[in-house]
Amino acid sequence: MPVSYDHKAANALEIQGVGRRFGGFWAVKDVSLTVRPGERRAVLGPNGAGKTTLFNVLTGDLVTSAGTIRMDGADVTQMPMHKRIKGGLRRTYQHAHLFNGLTVRDSLFLSVCGVAGGWQRFMPLRLNDGAVAKAETLAQLSGLSAELDREVANLSHGQRRQLEIGMALAENPKMLLLDEPAAGLSPSERPRLAELLLSLPKHITIILIEHDMDIALKTSDSVSVLHNGQLLAEGTPENIMSNEAVHKVYMGGAHGH
Amino acid sequence: MRTAFYLLPLAMAPLFANDFWLVQILGRALSLGVIALSLTFLAAYLGVVSFAQTTMAGVAGYTVAYFGPNTVDVGYELPFYVILPLAMIMATLSGALIGLIARRSQGIYAIMITLAIAVAFFYFTRQNYSVFNGWTGFSGLRAPDIAGINLRAPVPFYLLCLGVAALSLVLVNGFIKSPLGLTIQAVRDEPKRVLAIGIPTTPVIVAAYAFAGFIAGSGGILNIWLQERISSFSVGLGPIVDILVIAVIGGLKHPIGAFIGAIAFVLLDTFAVDFIDRERFNTLIGLVLLAIIMGAPDGLHGLAKSWLSRSAKRPAKIKT
Ligand SMILES: Nc1ncnc2c1ncn2[C@@H]1O[C@H](COP(=O)(O)OP(=O)(O)OP(=O)(O)O)[C@@H](O)[C@H]1O
Ligand SMILES: [Mg+2]
Repeated sequence: MPVSYDHKAANALEIQGVGRRFGGFWAVKDVSLTVRPGERRAVLGPNGAGKTTLFNVLTGDLVTSAGTIRMDGADVTQMPMHKRIKGGLRRTYQHAHLFNGLTVRDSLFLSVCGVAGGWQRFMPLRLNDGAVAKAETLAQLSGLSAELDREVANLSHGQRRQLEIGMALAENPKMLLLDEPAAGLSPSERPRLAELLLSLPKHITIILIEHDMDIALKTSDSVSVLHNGQLLAEGTPENIMSNEAVHKVYMGGAHGH
Repeated sequence: MRTAFYLLPLAMAPLFANDFWLVQILGRALSLGVIALSLTFLAAYLGVVSFAQTTMAGVAGYTVAYFGPNTVDVGYELPFYVILPLAMIMATLSGALIGLIARRSQGIYAIMITLAIAVAFFYFTRQNYSVFNGWTGFSGLRAPDIAGINLRAPVPFYLLCLGVAALSLVLVNGFIKSPLGLTIQAVRDEPKRVLAIGIPTTPVIVAAYAFAGFIAGSGGILNIWLQERISSFSVGLGPIVDILVIAVIGGLKHPIGAFIGAIAFVLLDTFAVDFIDRERFNTLIGLVLLAIIMGAPDGLHGLAKSWLSRSAKRPAKIKT
């Protein structure tokens, strides 16, 4: 029987029994979850719960040790990372991985070329290159317009986080994985970030790892809680806030900051 | 502007330098500089130190030797306008192939794998007679007449070296600003993130090595026209280390360093015999290298740059 996916009805993300092992230690174990297109999902969990590892497996930074990953109905478990990105997936890193020797403009420019194509060109650019204009739009979106010609190595911590997001927004992402985008931001920078997240087009699916409860709960319509690599609870923000088990492993610690 | 600053006195050298200086000092420095430039390019923009640049230069050199006029009766003779592009293509392909082999290696591992490839090529040229003519190699290699100009004469040969050197510098400086050049630098900084913006890293690394092969190849051709011969010794450990020494002395952070290092190296190599035994030359070069690494890790170019910026600041200090 021919299998055909109705892409509108397909889930943005559907993972089944996903695990990742380091030696004998399962950092992520038997996680199954489903995210609808356009959904805003927060992933919570104490330090070492496996949140970043789960992201690494979803993007292809790490290969899965068990389980299957479907995006838009298609099995991407074995797909190399750069192809998943071409398919509409984007991510930011908890500890910024940026091109320190390039300028902000060039970093954003490459992010556009990576998805739209054109990074292979070996002749110097013409001034009116479309990808450069897109890079400048991304800079505006992420609040880096004044820093376009700065070398990335000289950016402040907050600006590096903004660049992480700017690069992830290149070329109409379908699904965004944001790994603690607010980490290390000053209290005055946080509302700006929440605002940016809320202003993103509604069709973008966002999965957000965030220790800042304000941002996590304000910007999400559902929450998954990881603990010791496993899924502990899932529900609306209100449900999760009042969940006993979640309070025990997580809320107690996180409210202390 | 800055290029003109270096280029002008060099272009006027035929007016006051004799043939020995033009060919054996400056011409030789420029052709070694081009090969060293390919190493500096990979070090500065891809972040790997390659010991295989002499090998890529040698591939171009052997191609010209095999298909061009020689006195050992090996190979076919083709017209120079076929040989030269063919030699450049072969050098570029050899770069791509070496890049493909070394693509996952960084730091000390990249050094080891490129060195292994270079040494394997050295032994291969020694043992193969049908193409490389074994350890005797090729002699009687002569630069052609192009457009009625005899490139074997000192002044035209020198100007050719200068032209190729200037062109290769311009090429490198243009290339690193192109999208592919930027992607190469991105791979140097964060290969993981390059994947995360949708770009596979292998073709990027292969392209960087291929470009380095192209640059090394043009230096390799100049070098055999200067030496008038090529043999396994031309691709052996001695020349491999010379190119590395040149690049490190000049500075691995900036393309121009390759030429500064080459001039320093050739001057030492030529005139040190007046002061010390030939056998002691390696000791001398070793000491110079040690002094550079300890005292000026960014090479002579880095040293000159910091010295210039310091003396530029000085007048301002006096005013206030
Ligand atoms: N590459 C690795 N090799 C070995 N162990 C790893 C590796 N990456 C992660 N781990 C381990 O897996 C567990 C989960 O790590 P992970 O980074 O996914 O946690 P996290 O939930 O993102 O924590 P945090 O809130 O501190 O960012 C930790 O115990 C960590 O030490
Ligand atoms: Mg984490």
